[in-house]
Amino acid sequence: MIHELEYVLNQILGRDLAERYFKTFADDTFLVSFPRSGNTWTRFLIGNLVRPHESITFLNIEKVIPDTSALSNRYLERIPRPRIIKSHQFFDARYKKVIYIVRDPRDVVLSYYNFQRKYGEIDDQYPLEQYIPRFLAGDLPGLIGWGSWGEHVLSWLATRHNSPGFLLLRYEAMLADPICELGKVAKFLGVVTTTEALAGVVERSSADNMRKMEKTQSDKWVVTQGRRKDIPFVGKATRGGWHSLLPENAIDEIEAAWGPLMKTLGYKLARRSSAALEPPYIRLQNSYRVPIRQQV
Amino acid sequence: MSVIRRLAYGIKHILELDEPRHHLAIYPDDTFVVSFPGSGNTWTLFLIANLLQPEPRVTLPDLKRLIPAIDGQPRKFFRAMPRPRVIRHHESFHPQYKNVIYIVRDPRDVLISAYHSLPERTDLDGGDRLMSFVAEFVAGARSPVGSWGENVASWLATRGNAPRFLLLRFEDMWSETVGELDKVARFLGIQATSGHLAEAVNRSPADHVRRLEQKTARKIDLDSSRSSAEGGWRTTLPKAAVSEIESAWGPLMSRLGYELCDTAAAKYHTVAVTELDRDL
Repeated sequence: MIHELEYVLNQILGRDLAERYFKTFADDTFLVSFPRSGNTWTRFLIGNLVRPHESITFLNIEKVIPDTSALSNRYLERIPRPRIIKSHQFFDARYKKVIYIVRDPRDVVLSYYNFQRKYGEIDDQYPLEQYIPRFLAGDLPGLIGWGSWGEHVLSWLATRHNSPGFLLLRYEAMLADPICELGKVAKFLGVVTTTEALAGVVERSSADNMRKMEKTQSDKWVVTQGRRKDIPFVGKATRGGWHSLLPENAIDEIEAAWGPLMKTLGYKLARRSSAALEPPYIRLQNSYRVPIRQQV
Repeated sequence: MSVIRRLAYGIKHILELDEPRHHLAIYPDDTFVVSFPGSGNTWTLFLIANLLQPEPRVTLPDLKRLIPAIDGQPRKFFRAMPRPRVIRHHESFHPQYKNVIYIVRDPRDVLISAYHSLPERTDLDGGDRLMSFVAEFVAGARSPVGSWGENVASWLATRGNAPRFLLLRFEDMWSETVGELDKVARFLGIQATSGHLAEAVNRSPADHVRRLEQKTARKIDLDSSRSSAEGGWRTTLPKAAVSEIESAWGPLMSRLGYELCDTAAAKYHTVAVTELDRDL
């Protein structure tokens, strides 16, 4: 009951969290990903790209690229349009222009495990072996409303991949060649820029810079305020950490669950188990064709 | 939203008189009957409801009680519903729906149904009006639950192989009603003999449903669902409209067993995921 009253009060004051249900506009762009897939880094990159004259920090990022799961409906309504909005939501038909970031789930699971420990969503000593099956099923506090990694990625790719209002970014490709990937984003957003300018954006948004900022700003950022500091929000920003950190049977479990999708995305499977992978019900390229006349 | 409206909503929420929509407390044993609007849902729902309630014959108010729409009853109602609940909705993929019966129908017939449910009735003469409607239909422009292709693909891609997902084709429901209803009964864990199934079918004939709909002065085009079994779109839908739909969703339609009639494959560019096939 208290919870209900609190919800109603917040709702009347317009302080309820935007989450999935807020007013969208036709000119909104959405930066979407499953959690821990490089979304915050990309927010900094895009923020620095579209605001070349002010450096993006944790203190101003919410004004430039607001986060639907940290901010209220009223706050989002006051952001000047056209807005770029950060979201962890599974497929939402109202999002017409979407930048979707995907990351190797074997790295995501480790990053999310640490994140959930930081936020006290799981016990600090929670065994990783027990965590993996729950991660695969999407059965973790926090994940309940977002779906599993596979569901999240497929819900977007099966509906939007290769359509004109959808840009797919792979975190690993961004690490390997951030200027090239950011160039795609600039083109998608219609931002005219130069390679030098992109290099500057990448420099200002580097993991080192973000770590420095987190040290001094984490008490003031809505996402990290009041959270433990021994586990940083900005992660290792690497790829392939799972090779040394994930137990072998965990790798097998993840690849058995999502192998075909991971292969489609270019993530090489390490699996040694010989059981055949279940083919996807629909292949990604089978969900639609693009009529030739619509091709650019 | 104005403060007054927010206040009114707040009071309704406290009294649980608001429609739940996304505030529905979902239980793991809930089953959701999901479909894109205009997929022959009313008839299928009557069939399922007659399984859930063997006696007496299900009426429209019964249906709203037995399989409520997520925005069709106040939250209070959903809380008091006996479990396991069966709830209907049109939404695209939702991760919290763990048991899902998804009804799919040939989009060429869904289009006809959507066109006929426009406020002003017009015929399918293939004029500009129809073609601009087709373009909107393909883009999902008027749909809060995504286009037909988005709605269907969002579910099939995420749950197509899942054990707690039952895909029903409206066309199979129409031609193999008892057999398909048997699948539903098994999915819901209802012990139904062939006698029970036949009785449920008897009690949900399309004519009966149509009479009920007329009584409540709701206009639903069951004629188009009737003819769909014989390929209603083949005789009524202009070629240009058929082409447009097939070019948007051809592969998905084939996967579902809906035969394509526009064989000009060269018209399409089958999207390859080659760029992504490159290993990182």
